[in-house]
Amino acid sequence: MSEVLKLEHIQKYYGSKGNVTKAIQDISFSVQEGEFVGIMGASGSGKTTLLNCISTIDMVSAGHIYLNGTDVTEITEKQIAQFRRENLGFVFQDFNLLDTLTISENIALALTINRVPAGDIDGRVREMAGNLNITDILDKYPYQVSGGQKQRCACARAIINQPKLILADEPTGALDSHSSQMLLSAIQSINETLGATILMVTHDAFSASYANRILFLRDGTIFTEIFKGNNSRRTFFEKILDVLTMTGGGVSDVC
Amino acid sequence: MYAKLAFRNIRRSLRDYIIYFVTLTLTAALMYSFLALGLSPDILAMTENMSMLTTGILILSVLIAFMSSFVIGYAVRFMLGQRKKEFAAYELMGMEVKTIRNLFLVENGIIGGGAFLLGALVGTGLSGLLNQVIQNIFEVPHTYRVLFSFRAWGMTLFFFTLMYGFGMFRAASVIRRQKVIDLLYDNQKNEEIGFQSLLRSVLTGLLSIAVMVAGVILLEKGLHIQTNEALLYCGGACLLILVAVYELHRKIPVLLYLLAKRNPQRKYREENLFFLGQIGSRIQSSGRTMAVVTILLTISLTTMFIGLTMGAGYKANMEAYYPYDAGVAIDAPLTKNSMDTVRSFVEKRCKVEDSATYYLYTVPGKSIEALSLSDYNHLRDILGFSSVSISNNEFLVHCDTWNYVDDIQQRLEQQSKITLNGQTLTAAETPILTEPMEQYQMAGTNGYVLVLPDKVASQLPGEKIRLVMKLADGGYPELRSELRQFLNSGEWLPDIQPGQELPEKMTMGITVKAWGVANSLTGFTTLSFCGLYLSIIFIILSCSVLAFEQLSSIDKNRKNYAVIDRLGVSSQKQVALIRKELSTVFFIPLLFPIILTVFLIAGTQLLFGKSFLQEGLVLFYGMVTILLFCAIYLTYFGATMFLFKKVILRPKIR
Repeated sequence: MSEVLKLEHIQKYYGSKGNVTKAIQDISFSVQEGEFVGIMGASGSGKTTLLNCISTIDMVSAGHIYLNGTDVTEITEKQIAQFRRENLGFVFQDFNLLDTLTISENIALALTINRVPAGDIDGRVREMAGNLNITDILDKYPYQVSGGQKQRCACARAIINQPKLILADEPTGALDSHSSQMLLSAIQSINETLGATILMVTHDAFSASYANRILFLRDGTIFTEIFKGNNSRRTFFEKILDVLTMTGGGVSDVC
Repeated sequence: MYAKLAFRNIRRSLRDYIIYFVTLTLTAALMYSFLALGLSPDILAMTENMSMLTTGILILSVLIAFMSSFVIGYAVRFMLGQRKKEFAAYELMGMEVKTIRNLFLVENGIIGGGAFLLGALVGTGLSGLLNQVIQNIFEVPHTYRVLFSFRAWGMTLFFFTLMYGFGMFRAASVIRRQKVIDLLYDNQKNEEIGFQSLLRSVLTGLLSIAVMVAGVILLEKGLHIQTNEALLYCGGACLLILVAVYELHRKIPVLLYLLAKRNPQRKYREENLFFLGQIGSRIQSSGRTMAVVTILLTISLTTMFIGLTMGAGYKANMEAYYPYDAGVAIDAPLTKNSMDTVRSFVEKRCKVEDSATYYLYTVPGKSIEALSLSDYNHLRDILGFSSVSISNNEFLVHCDTWNYVDDIQQRLEQQSKITLNGQTLTAAETPILTEPMEQYQMAGTNGYVLVLPDKVASQLPGEKIRLVMKLADGGYPELRSELRQFLNSGEWLPDIQPGQELPEKMTMGITVKAWGVANSLTGFTTLSFCGLYLSIIFIILSCSVLAFEQLSSIDKNRKNYAVIDRLGVSSQKQVALIRKELSTVFFIPLLFPIILTVFLIAGTQLLFGKSFLQEGLVLFYGMVTILLFCAIYLTYFGATMFLFKKVILRPKIR
């Protein structure tokens, strides 16, 4: 397995002069191809900032991020669009689907932007929709389908170009438990059957239990990381809960 | 405290308010400048009929205030939409709805007041320019001088308050009715897209075309009816055409959209899919507005073109209508002595430098009248043209109506000889002369006249008598009514030719150049200025509506563009997409008005072009109309594009 993502001493500060907020203090880690990594942490721990820096939406204050050997922090404004097209897939909490297009067209949009020949598009959309079990809603508009279906559509759009890395920001945040379960199974299946590399930010232990490895952030640094290994999902879930209990505060915090 | 908050809100919402403010300012400026012009004593004193301009401008101001009030209502809806969350926050903090409403009204009062004052100031400057244009038309020596009129100021304030008051009333009622939950979550509502089927759209489109054809047929019929029934036909026709235009503009974009989406090659080409989605949403949400804008633009463009062309045509033809300083035309077999008293009457008021009394002879069996060569040469002399000569067995034709010239030329080539009273005459070496001589009353009544040797002419019956005079300093406008009074009074006693009788109805015509010029210019000024006033304001209002329509969906658009930004569409591509999207939305309502204007220009050139004595007049004013329209339209398009780009391409964190 090769290394898809590598972060070296990432720092991210907001503000200036006497009013500086350190969102990320010093983070380094790497992700192997085909891995499903979860990032957890309390609000303000730096999860979303980290994801934004990896996804080229935000810039780091110091450090380097390598995606498939390319230093993301060195990419110019002009190269960003092409870089995103070729390397990244996004899934957001609020789906970010276009109300103006049908489910099928929302998925096809990613292909047209990547200049896939028109004749191949419908076939590929149907195939991907089949994988995510949304074939019967392809001709509907986003407002006509459930939240879970919308998020599966967003997943389909994120992976249809087979990006090097799929970034998911609280993908189950707006879903009920049943829809969350279905979506997470779908993401897991994408990871296992299609070999997609996934980096998922979540604050929900149940969602995180679908990952192979979890990084826990606290105050802008990696507090700890745990691996699923050969454990069952239930065992892994309990381990996550244990860590979360710990991340709530350290001994030093108790007076 | 609230006043301070209102000021801060205005400063913060400057982006949203700018187009609104500019539109209000321009409307106030145009309204003031035209009203100042229509009410200016100097302008009104120019001619006796100048009150036509005042009436026209006042009527149009009422119409404009009415239309503007709808646009203000529209703008208010847009502003309320932009500030829903802010109002929700006020309500959640415990502010009463009444207070929020008052806050909004204070803000708008400041904006409206500012726009009115600035508009009145700009309008005052503009009135100076319009004043100069009118003085120039009337060839009065002039310098730039603004027109300040308390009456115009008061009327502008009245109309402005009326239209603004309506908008504010509407805003107050909307604020009163809104619920906090709607204010908070309205922008999270899904956009629902749904169109008629392709077949249904095609059928409705075809039906609209049929309605339009029916309208055109009705209009054609109406134009040929001489009674009041014509009004009914024309009114019905206009209504049918406008309904068809409205419906076509609702259906054509839908049809194009559905057709584009049916073709995968086109739909999946580059960013077309996103573009079609955006346009589909626009057609869905703004289809009605765009159709109404189409109607407004159609009215604007046609009004501007007709106003400018007819006005200028009137002026261009003026010289030909009034070549003589004064003239009296009586269609009765009177002796030449009858005209001596008329000449003496004029002489008492104004020095007559030269005069000619002559007959328009009746040519038996022909629909043409004849002039004797000596009378013809006398007229030429009065008009400053050189004399012509023909031998005793020749004739010539004078025709200053150039659309008849070719026809006459052809007929003369086919038949170059005529026989009158047993004498055969041949066409002279130069058989047709074309200098302007006024050939519908004075030198003929059909647009042309036969010029015969004196001996031949004198043998024909002289059933129409004419007197033309050359006056010192060209005479004065009131001479016309004085002459008319004299001829209708018992003071003038016509002398009938021996053996002839007065016809039952005697046609009498009086032309005085000074009066004619003044009134033609009044007609020109009224037509042109009223046309310009109405059309410019309608164009501004239409553009504002289109701009507000775009800006009201700016937040939704920002979200959509953020999606494609993350999918890897470059900023340059996004700018191109924004331009394409806005161009389409601004172009759709132009489709029919532009086609109609082009047809109107071509049709006017074809049907009436020859009637205008200035060559290229129709095309020139057609171009002026289109250029003026484009200048306003493109300015609004540019401003909308600028704001759109600024908001949508605002750096997304990075």
